[in-house]
Amino acid sequence: MLRHAWVVLPAAFALFFIVPLVGLLVRAASDGDVGAQLRAGSTWTALRLSVMTATFALALAIVLGTPLAYALASSRASWARLAATLLDLPLVLPPVVSGIALLTVFGRRGYLGEPLAEAGISLSFTTAAVVIAQLFVAGPYYLRSAYAGFAGTDPRFQGVAYTLGLSRWTTFRRVTLPLVWPSLAGGAVLCWARALGELGATLLFAGSLPGKTQTMPLAIVTAFESSAGLAGAVSIAVILVGFALLLLLLLHRYTNAVGPYR
Amino acid sequence: MTVEIEIAGAVGGFTYDVTLSAGDELLVLYGHSGAGKTVTLRAVAGLERPQRGRIAIADTVVFDAARGIALPPQARRAGYVVQDAALFPHLDVRHNVLIGVERSAEAQRRWADLRALLRIEDLDDRRPHQLSGGQQQRVALARALVRPTHVLLLDEPFSALDEALREGLRSELVRLHRELALPILFVTHDLREAHLLADRIAVIDGGRILQLDTRDRVFRRPLSRRVAELTGVRNLWPGTADGRDVVVAGLPLRLPDDSRLNGPVDVGIRSERCNLRRLHPDGDLPENCFVAGVVEDLAFGNTHTLVLEPEAAGPRVLVEVAARPYEVLRVADVHRWVVELPADDLQIMRRLP
Repeated sequence: MLRHAWVVLPAAFALFFIVPLVGLLVRAASDGDVGAQLRAGSTWTALRLSVMTATFALALAIVLGTPLAYALASSRASWARLAATLLDLPLVLPPVVSGIALLTVFGRRGYLGEPLAEAGISLSFTTAAVVIAQLFVAGPYYLRSAYAGFAGTDPRFQGVAYTLGLSRWTTFRRVTLPLVWPSLAGGAVLCWARALGELGATLLFAGSLPGKTQTMPLAIVTAFESSAGLAGAVSIAVILVGFALLLLLLLHRYTNAVGPYR
Repeated sequence: MTVEIEIAGAVGGFTYDVTLSAGDELLVLYGHSGAGKTVTLRAVAGLERPQRGRIAIADTVVFDAARGIALPPQARRAGYVVQDAALFPHLDVRHNVLIGVERSAEAQRRWADLRALLRIEDLDDRRPHQLSGGQQQRVALARALVRPTHVLLLDEPFSALDEALREGLRSELVRLHRELALPILFVTHDLREAHLLADRIAVIDGGRILQLDTRDRVFRRPLSRRVAELTGVRNLWPGTADGRDVVVAGLPLRLPDDSRLNGPVDVGIRSERCNLRRLHPDGDLPENCFVAGVVEDLAFGNTHTLVLEPEAAGPRVLVEVAARPYEVLRVADVHRWVVELPADDLQIMRRLP
């Protein structure tokens, strides 16, 4: 028995994550009314908005972030490493600060927001603002992982591919990309998950307008602060947790099965 | 086909200035690591851009700093194989070799030939991690040769393999070389490998070519003390030459017939080229001989290296004796010997300031 005594600590750590989730479930079963929430249109609206915005933010992170990560990782310049570090900054900022930062730029009085408003485009407190907030907060998770992937590939693979006559694009598509695929997939999952849970920056920059900017986390906070209290909040929370778990499982299966790197 | 290289530049703090050309031959670039061998190959392949100079492959100028020409690696037709093969880990053998040329009938035909030539017939569906080191290198060679190639660049391709595998691959490379008729630049820091493979050897040190010559001339007639050191000459002494004679540590020695140097020189002789003779008390000493006593005897299994101190005039000398003559001559039991430094095996080099 003593030989396996060391297991106690890791097991306790695992329980640290599992028990609160179980608590959530138990609480939802006893106090809450998950059925009522599931039947409520507002829950589905918030869920749909969450999934839509998080997926859109991820798509933007992939489309814009992959070339950026590749360029930064390929560059030998010292400013490239500095830039890579700066792009990590949103990871350590409290999301609320990120929200304020976004307001200073894209808000109605912001540096870009004001000229845009004059042109008739208003970003803050729109669904687009939700995506921007999520991209700002969650995008670095993808960037970071993609950058590490590109920086970690042996540059000789590229060199050899060039001598074999493969163009830069073919080399990227057929050699580099398959090699960094696990990093990209892992980063994408993290980014999407983080975007789905985004609260602080969204609240400040996009507000909490049902059907427009009220994502699941915001709906949960709103329920918590309303007369429904904790009981209402846990019911929605359980739906979000269940849904997120389902999608994560699907995503893992998808990235493993479809990845060109097998 | 030919390759002509005349390049100079700097990588980090290291500067190089390399000029060489090769025809349809196996030219070995030999030197210690960090001598500038790899950077030369990378410049030919187009993966490194020198600051000055010119490179021509099969009469096509692929790089000319003065005229602003620098063809990308894709357009140079230089096959490049690196130390650990760098096969793409996510592709099987067939796709590794044919990547980018899957639809070329010519490439398919050459792949069929190369599979047989390199003995990798049954590996098409294997992944690199399922191959031995030797198989990986063969596949890497096939990958470089399956497309039209005008020069083959091999950067220590065998140094990560064990000795038995290397032997086999080396002889295969010699065979392949006969079939291909194209210049092969082979980088190595292994003296035996250089000796076995080379038609000609370029000895590189500190980013410069110290000597480019036929294999035998590099080994028998090094141009400088440094070349002699790099090619494993262990007896090197200062001396004063006068045409066909030289004085080393007070001992006059006869030099090879083609020697013409005068003044301060370095004199060298490979330790396995020195002869030991039995000492006859009343006989005269022949030319290039002196009496010396064994002060050290190092056994290396199949050879012994003896260190001998002269009794009168003459240098301290290292003599390598194969195990068999060592036993037959009973070297272990005898202290005093006549050491002969045959004139033809003496190397004489101008002393560089």
